[in-house]
Amino acid sequence: MKTRKLPVLIAALTAGAVLAACSGGTKAGSDGGSKTLTLASVDQGSVEDVVKAFEKANPGVKVRYTTSGADQYQQQIRTQLSSGTAPDVMSVWPGNGNPGATYVLAKPGYLRDLSDQPWAAKMPDAIKSVAQYEGKTYNAIFGQNGIGAVYNQQAMAKAGLTPPDTWTKLLAFCKAAKAKGTPAFALGNQDNWVTQLVLYALVATTVYGPDRDFDQKMQAGQATFAQSPWTTALDKYLTMEKTGCFQKNPLGTNYEASQALAATGKTLGIIQGNWVIALLKQQNPQGTFTLRALPAIDDPAETLIPAAAGAGYGVNAKAKNEELALKFVNFVMSPEGMNLFVKKQGGLPSLPDTGYAVDPSLSELSTFIGADRTVPFMDQLWPNAKVQQTMLSGLQEIFSGQSTPEKLLDEMDADYKAGS
Amino acid sequence: MTLAPHEQLPDHDRPPDAEPVPKVRRARTTPPWWFALPALVLFAFVVLVPSVRGVYYAFTDWDGLDPDFSFVGLDNFSAMFRDADAVQAIWHTLLIAVSITVVQNAVGLLLALGVNSAIRSRNVLRVFLFAPAVITPIVTAYLWRNLLGPDGAVNSLLGAVGLDGWRQDWLGSPQVALWSVVGVIVWQFAGYSMVIFLAGLQSVPKEIHEAAAIDGAGPVRRFWSVTRPLLAPALTINLMLSIIGGIKLFDQVYALTGGGPGHATDTLSTLIYKDAFTLGEFGYSIALAVVLTIIVAVVSTGQYLVLARNERAVS
Repeated sequence: MKTRKLPVLIAALTAGAVLAACSGGTKAGSDGGSKTLTLASVDQGSVEDVVKAFEKANPGVKVRYTTSGADQYQQQIRTQLSSGTAPDVMSVWPGNGNPGATYVLAKPGYLRDLSDQPWAAKMPDAIKSVAQYEGKTYNAIFGQNGIGAVYNQQAMAKAGLTPPDTWTKLLAFCKAAKAKGTPAFALGNQDNWVTQLVLYALVATTVYGPDRDFDQKMQAGQATFAQSPWTTALDKYLTMEKTGCFQKNPLGTNYEASQALAATGKTLGIIQGNWVIALLKQQNPQGTFTLRALPAIDDPAETLIPAAAGAGYGVNAKAKNEELALKFVNFVMSPEGMNLFVKKQGGLPSLPDTGYAVDPSLSELSTFIGADRTVPFMDQLWPNAKVQQTMLSGLQEIFSGQSTPEKLLDEMDADYKAGS
Repeated sequence: MTLAPHEQLPDHDRPPDAEPVPKVRRARTTPPWWFALPALVLFAFVVLVPSVRGVYYAFTDWDGLDPDFSFVGLDNFSAMFRDADAVQAIWHTLLIAVSITVVQNAVGLLLALGVNSAIRSRNVLRVFLFAPAVITPIVTAYLWRNLLGPDGAVNSLLGAVGLDGWRQDWLGSPQVALWSVVGVIVWQFAGYSMVIFLAGLQSVPKEIHEAAAIDGAGPVRRFWSVTRPLLAPALTINLMLSIIGGIKLFDQVYALTGGGPGHATDTLSTLIYKDAFTLGEFGYSIALAVVLTIIVAVVSTGQYLVLARNERAVS
């Protein structure tokens, strides 16, 4: 049986490989012409509308685009860039620290400098810092997201509790919620990327509140994680766990399960990015969900929110159709393009004055952004992807008693110092 | 790994004394090796050459993107033994492979003996027991990820029958998670082993069993002295398949736990994936893949040699 299967298997593999080789490259150039633009995107579910609007605004133009999940996209785009088959316009993540990030792709010269485009100068500083590499803008970042406590309004009303705005009130809130049998927040730490969100929300206020230049100091080697208020933030995270702010067994609970808990009122809320609101509404269309800053100190006026640029678009340095590529990127950064994107994605536009009507669930985030009370997601300015991965698995290890906060911060310092 | 079934078939059709007619002889001749040449060339071109060329990158610091990389000799390999995560992953890989091999085959054999008996519902049972093996591993993993959650079906069931003390955070506890993964894989593939054992069991001639029974052998003795030796080929296939599958294990682990909590369930394969595609350390990741290839080759060859000798000894 085994011997007879082998040739079939080989034939199938061969056929598969040949087909993959034929379809692997993008269609750039195959039907060239000045009216065709190639695009690879991770904005599944929202880029479709933008492409449609772009084609409508530019009659005769055809956009050939592919969408894929982040993991798959990162593998694909790297292969395409190094083999010269990448599309004209592609999704690029802000800052550094992931395989498809601005620094990573701009450094070997794969991206076209976009500093001369009209929107580049209008970007707020927090966005600029992650859209640029060595002072030049490479990433057309159209939207931003924030991390905070998302409350289920109906569950809150039922429990008779209100969102806390100081650290002391937060702990009291957790105790009161637990006493009523509905823990304050759902935590889906089985998916390791979730582990960082509570910590980021606490780090924003405790680390960046007293020192907005913490990243510059880290880069200059004048600061470390272990010798900074990162220790305070980590300690507060564990205090929240001990106080019963989260449901039982966060390590056995995955992202989807945590959404279900918050959506159905089995917890009063969830500490997540604003993107979770749309998902909560899918599970509970009648629910009302509001994002508020997570307090980490007792002075509400000093609280900061981690808010960061989402993935944007870069132009291939060797674009087959550069003119059209720039046109597309400028359309994305126009009020029309930006609003189309963020409305579908549930975030906020990156540039001011787009006339975007903010959803009431995000009004606090919008206020914080307007008052410059936000800091980028911490990993976006780290020198390599390893620091974040060490943090993610380290947090799981701390929650399961396999590691300690001191050990984790030392490991993160070691990875940080290893550089890019 | 490949069996040549015709070698084991008795020559029923050849008259013992007559000179075989040329037609029959031609049918039995092995085809010339160069018939396989086109396939071999294609295989070499598509699989072998790229793989061997890929090995070169294990000796570089390539990040998967930058065309400007340098040769670093054996650095990636020596780094591996200083990397606690890698050493732990190798250990997990072997632990998983061995436990899956033992448990899956033990369960598979018991199931095969069960459904090979005269019980009435045996055909239905065979279908049900084999069914999990035809589901995509990623689907079963997602299914079990929910069943094994803190409030999932498994814990609810244990609570309902009064076994509250047995409730666990199946995938969230570093002590239990690895065994939960093993359990899920055994659940899925025990039926697969069962089918192979069943085929072996059904080739055991009834007459020998009857003869042994007449000689006064009980069921246990008959299993040990009659069935077991005749099952040797089935056992070889099953052990080979499960140990290779266990060492290469990726999708179920990745979907069930992502290697977590922390690194508690990381195997060589999940580490290779993470190092390459999350961290962009392609050189290091390929070095890990080379080590994985060597482990698979050594273990499977060693196992095959031992089992083949065993087969010859009992037959």
